[in-house]
Amino acid sequence: MNVRITNGMLLALVMNVIYAKAIGITQGIIAREVASDMWLSTLIGMLQGIAAAWLTARVIRMGGQASMIDIASKAAGKWAGKLIAAVLLLFFTGAFATVLVTFTYHLMDYFLPEAPVILFVVAALAVGLYGAYHGVEVMGRMAFVGVFSILILNILVMMGSIAEFDVKNLLPVMDSGLARTVWASRHFDTDWSLATMMIAILLPHVKKPQRWGRASAVSILFAGLTVAIWPILETGVLSAEATREYIVACMQLARSAHIGLFLHRYEMIMVAFFATSSLIQIMMSLFCASVCASKIVGVNDYRLLLLPTALLLGGTGYWIVADHLRAMIFTADYWPLFAVPVAIGIPLLIGGISMLRRNKEPAV
Amino acid sequence: MTVQPLLDTAITDSLQTNVDLIQRIMGQSVDFIKRDFDFHQETNRQGVCFYTDGLISNTELQHILKAILVHSQELPAEILLQADTVEELKRRLMTNCSLRAIRKIGEGVDGILGGETLFLIDGFAEGLLVVTKAWESRSITEPATDNVVRGPRDGFTENIRTNTALVRRRIKDPSLRLDSLIVGTKTKTDLNVAYMEGIVKPGLVEEVKARIHKIKIDGVLESGYIEELIEDAPFSVFSTIGTTERPDKVAASLLEGKVAIFVDNTPVVLTVPTFFWQFFQASDDYYSRYWVGSFFRIVRYIAFLISLMLPSLYVMLVSFHQEMIPSMLAFTIASGREVVPFPVLVEAIMMELAFELMREAGLRMPKPVGQAVSIVGSLIIGQAAVQAGLVSPFMVIIVAVTGIASFAIPNYSASLSIRLLRFPLIIASGMLGLLGFAGMFFIVVIHALSIRSFGEPYLAPAAPFRPSDQKDIVLRLPWWSNKSRPSIAADAKRQQDGAMPKPPES
Repeated sequence: MNVRITNGMLLALVMNVIYAKAIGITQGIIAREVASDMWLSTLIGMLQGIAAAWLTARVIRMGGQASMIDIASKAAGKWAGKLIAAVLLLFFTGAFATVLVTFTYHLMDYFLPEAPVILFVVAALAVGLYGAYHGVEVMGRMAFVGVFSILILNILVMMGSIAEFDVKNLLPVMDSGLARTVWASRHFDTDWSLATMMIAILLPHVKKPQRWGRASAVSILFAGLTVAIWPILETGVLSAEATREYIVACMQLARSAHIGLFLHRYEMIMVAFFATSSLIQIMMSLFCASVCASKIVGVNDYRLLLLPTALLLGGTGYWIVADHLRAMIFTADYWPLFAVPVAIGIPLLIGGISMLRRNKEPAV
Repeated sequence: MTVQPLLDTAITDSLQTNVDLIQRIMGQSVDFIKRDFDFHQETNRQGVCFYTDGLISNTELQHILKAILVHSQELPAEILLQADTVEELKRRLMTNCSLRAIRKIGEGVDGILGGETLFLIDGFAEGLLVVTKAWESRSITEPATDNVVRGPRDGFTENIRTNTALVRRRIKDPSLRLDSLIVGTKTKTDLNVAYMEGIVKPGLVEEVKARIHKIKIDGVLESGYIEELIEDAPFSVFSTIGTTERPDKVAASLLEGKVAIFVDNTPVVLTVPTFFWQFFQASDDYYSRYWVGSFFRIVRYIAFLISLMLPSLYVMLVSFHQEMIPSMLAFTIASGREVVPFPVLVEAIMMELAFELMREAGLRMPKPVGQAVSIVGSLIIGQAAVQAGLVSPFMVIIVAVTGIASFAIPNYSASLSIRLLRFPLIIASGMLGLLGFAGMFFIVVIHALSIRSFGEPYLAPAAPFRPSDQKDIVLRLPWWSNKSRPSIAADAKRQQDGAMPKPPES
């Protein structure tokens, strides 16, 4: 993979990778824990994400501008690299399942209730495979389209719901207490964890290494800000009590949005824009998982492993998405317990090992 | 039997041998003419000339023959014994502006077939090819495509030299270069690669020539052959090479650092690299006021979206997501569809195919009949199909609006690409609703993002985003603000600062 992308493309990819799940599924889960403080929880999660992204970029730059897996191989041997690749493959498999939950439930529950789940999985895999096959540069360009879609979507939802916005719904602030609000931010942490792990694999292919740290942190900041509009609107328009009742909270907000009397429902237009971000999540999960799989197997071209990886991710995703209860238990209870430690632990571990090795090496 | 060994044979000093060889190669074609003449009676030297009837100017040939027959007799005999006799003949006898000496039979045959006249003289191991090209050709007329309201009316013809001259008339600068190439083992079609030295994207000319040199084909009858043989994305439905019949468009492309490829016998000139957004730019965007140009460009983008998506959106909404249609509109559509026995998907495909059928029939039939077919066809099929309950009135409107929108796209090949893409979108939307539409649409977008035109991303400067190139994409900003050329050009400076006009200070 000799392709180089710009820092702007990285920013666009990060924004898209975080956005789709964070605005709806995540907000519903956070609302069930901290009610009207969900927007604060999201912002706290964003700050953690900025630190984690900066840390990940720093570790990669320190480790010789290679991917996290290659740095692990260099620092602790070939098998350590394969172990990290396996953990990351597991991570992306789980992340793909949560992404698939987002994609499927948005479309199935609100537009095609009679369609079988497998149809959504196959469609997502087909588009994801096609995008991942074309590589990171094409996905980076697609992410620019995605950022445009995110902006349009945010504008549309604000236009359609600002009239119903009641600031009283946001009060009292910090009603759940700081500790619970911070703890609830782990759900948004799972969203940026996909982005930081993507950074861990992708960053060596981004131009201008001196800007990596800032670009990664700013990407999470921008993503957090575009996401934060949603919990604020969901609380202000729907109320936290209503938001917590839905799996896909953002769809409820989108469904209630209206511009005048004639355009009383335009959630489908919004979902069309949302689909860009969701499909980029799917492509990137597939792409990163294939890169990890290629590192485990020891082949240079990730494309050779795209299909087997797609089968693994698709199979796992289907098993989770097929049952709403299983999907929500996985997304709300188990996934944060795995995703967040991996996203923070791996950069810390590899950064620590790299530093130790550097200290041990005799000065030349 | 291959004639290649004969073509490679050198011209000998025996006139009879040379004539026999050429006649063996050319056979008994009626348009292949041989004319004998006495070259020099004193030394008893005979001469012969070969040409292709219809490709040369008879008047010109008569002048040459007259000059030879009269003045060759005056040549001193010793001149004919000199080593550089052919050079002497060129100087003393041939008053034509363009001629050359040749040493191979093959060169002579190529010349004869290209409209030149070959002169062979007994005792000389060289021939003289005199340019006498003159054949009937279409005069310069308004192009059939790329029509404009304001702007030049001249269009390219089938004559490559006329075409290059039309561009040369617009760019009177020595840095406009025209490099000649020949493609096609049988047709030996002339190609000219045009570019502006110092402005053209570095490496582009070499890349274009390298790709053309790779072409090994028997014949090139139109620039479409070259287009398909040198493009970056041969499997794509999108056209990654620009085509135009307008000299002003080619001149503008050259001034933006691009390369134009002229092909003989066709009025369609190729330009590379090409970006998707160029297909929505019309020449008169630049000749009308920028407000008008920008407005109509936006209208064309809307036309593009309608042309690509309107039928599939309609099929998707009516088949799967009726709740998304405003209530009153939904009732209107439902009442129209009450008697239609087909699903919307079948109805849409039927109507789209009928529309394409009428368009194709109207195009292929003789002009007066063709117009009748398209008008009568649309009236009868539309009206009768609705009355018979085969299609709903709404579907007729959708297909008609889509058709009109597709004609609003200035570039014909781009319009065709969009028309082709419409069908998979309709089918996906009709079978899977929003899921199918979104999936298929993103596959198309990813595909468009993945292809390149001579190394340049096809969707640039939108994706990848190039801020400096945005002045001429969605909007056409005023000329006085357009100070730089597109970023692909080697020399970015288009005009000096302070170009914005102002009223005089009183």
